[in-house]
Amino acid sequence: MSISEGTLGELRSKGVEVRRIDKEYYEIFIGPQHPGSGHMRFRVKLDGDIIVDADPDIGYVHRTMEKLSEGREWLKITPLVERMTIIDACNITLPYINALEKLMDKRPSTRASYLRVLLCEMNRIASHLYGFGIFGVFIGHSTAYMWGFGDREVFVELSEILTGTRLTYTYHIPGGVRRDMPQDFPQMVRRAVRYMRSRMPEYEKIFLNNPVIVTRLKDVGVITKNRAAELGVVGPTLRGSGIRYDVRLAEPYEVYGEIDFEVPVFEDGDALARTWVRVEEIKQSLNIMEQAIDWLERHRDEPVIPKEDYDKLPKLHKEVYEKSGRVKLLPAQISMKVPPGKAVARGEAGRGEIFYYVESDGGTMPYRLRVVTPSARNAIVFKRILPGHRLMDLPTVYGSIDYFAPEADR
Amino acid sequence: MPPRAVTKSVRKTGGLFDGVKSNVEALIIGVKYFIDPKRMTMFYPKEYLEHRPGYRGFIVLKKEVCISCAACARICPSAAMKMVRVSEVDPKEPAKQRQKQYPVINYQRCIFCGYCVDVCPVEALYHLPFHDVTYESLGDMFLTLDLFQKEPLRPVEKEGVPVVYEVDETLGLVKRERKGGG
Repeated sequence: MSISEGTLGELRSKGVEVRRIDKEYYEIFIGPQHPGSGHMRFRVKLDGDIIVDADPDIGYVHRTMEKLSEGREWLKITPLVERMTIIDACNITLPYINALEKLMDKRPSTRASYLRVLLCEMNRIASHLYGFGIFGVFIGHSTAYMWGFGDREVFVELSEILTGTRLTYTYHIPGGVRRDMPQDFPQMVRRAVRYMRSRMPEYEKIFLNNPVIVTRLKDVGVITKNRAAELGVVGPTLRGSGIRYDVRLAEPYEVYGEIDFEVPVFEDGDALARTWVRVEEIKQSLNIMEQAIDWLERHRDEPVIPKEDYDKLPKLHKEVYEKSGRVKLLPAQISMKVPPGKAVARGEAGRGEIFYYVESDGGTMPYRLRVVTPSARNAIVFKRILPGHRLMDLPTVYGSIDYFAPEADR
Repeated sequence: MPPRAVTKSVRKTGGLFDGVKSNVEALIIGVKYFIDPKRMTMFYPKEYLEHRPGYRGFIVLKKEVCISCAACARICPSAAMKMVRVSEVDPKEPAKQRQKQYPVINYQRCIFCGYCVDVCPVEALYHLPFHDVTYESLGDMFLTLDLFQKEPLRPVEKEGVPVVYEVDETLGLVKRERKGGG
């Protein structure tokens, strides 16, 4: 039985989407109930086992963050935007604060900068391990899942000691950070770094060099150098395709220009190369953490709050800072007015480049806030790279670009 | 040395020997952790986590310190904190009643960002180092002024043993019973 054209026209006039289904293809839906790291759906067209067309249907967790920001005071936007990527909250909010600092013409103290970098790198490791775990369970390697989530806990615990909470840190404020590190923090960081270093070879043995995994990942989801540049992908996905680009390298923010670290690049462009990029990045992040904590320990007497700001603080604020390292906010900061202007800032989050455009009209709230997130830019990979693969390669590609739906939808 | 990009390459694998070697290596690691696993599971509620003092948990009001400036209610990013007007006996003139505003909190909305504690100009608010408290109904999560001044009871403290997690060089996170007890 077929539907007549008249009925179809009637349906169309009512706003129902009507499209012809090719009979020879099998169409399946993956999602939207949390296929991986958030709600999104794939409409996959299959010819036998081969994907003919993949349509990523994004937007299930769209929360109008850009519009919501227009109705919030400057400080209140940090807790909002960090909910895009809760597992990478530090990296995701830092460029917003950087853009705000550009507008306000404020610079954080060097100590605050190092604290930011330290938390960012801890967060990057935690975020990569999370992605690694999800990836592992996607392709049926539940050991990687358990290990990734277990070892991530080390860095989540460290972040908790530094900021007071596990994931949503709200750590940056314009001109600094909200807390100094506790006295015994450097030893803990060093122990965690040594632990993770000793753990990396084991990850390589059980996961990355494991022939079962290599067979699943090698030459799957290949994005060539030209293709990567054309699609505009970012982060580990880009570096896995052999393009030497990292915001920390191209436009160093905070103190990244002074720190000695490598940005790993792999030429192959397949799922295995992208996984290796993340593993090598974890190793480099450990180096950065060590250097940051060394600097912080050597310069214990340097203040988190810049000298000229510190002198203006009330007595109680100074007392609290001296006693517990907590930087108290001033009530005037709630409805602070930011000079009119436009500013952009970007940073390298766990999944790639995050970009903020902030415009102020001189009021207590932004006139416009624009966020471009790495996952939103990487989502194109599903559409362009998946066709031609087998259905069993879909989780591999999904996991290897570490797509995070709430971040893309924002 | 400044940051730099370094091109690396995936280890070339191939051949029977390499395949067997990598398989055996993976199996050895698997067996190693099968025999001697690293566990950090916390058996809640028989054990409960004792957070460090800086933890951003439940918030308590010190009413006698509060100066009714409403900074906490204004800074709250999720509008969880609101000011309520109460009439009370003026401590300076006991014969008179005075109108004063105090903050109350709605834990349905609170995101524990700690802005209110940080912005308070007189330190009238403080964090408790936990947030595993249950309420019987959603309505109970709107704290009244009296409840907001009391430290909420943590049910798990009655039956559980406090544990802390420490970072260890060889084992990662290690669960230890908190020294000193109590």
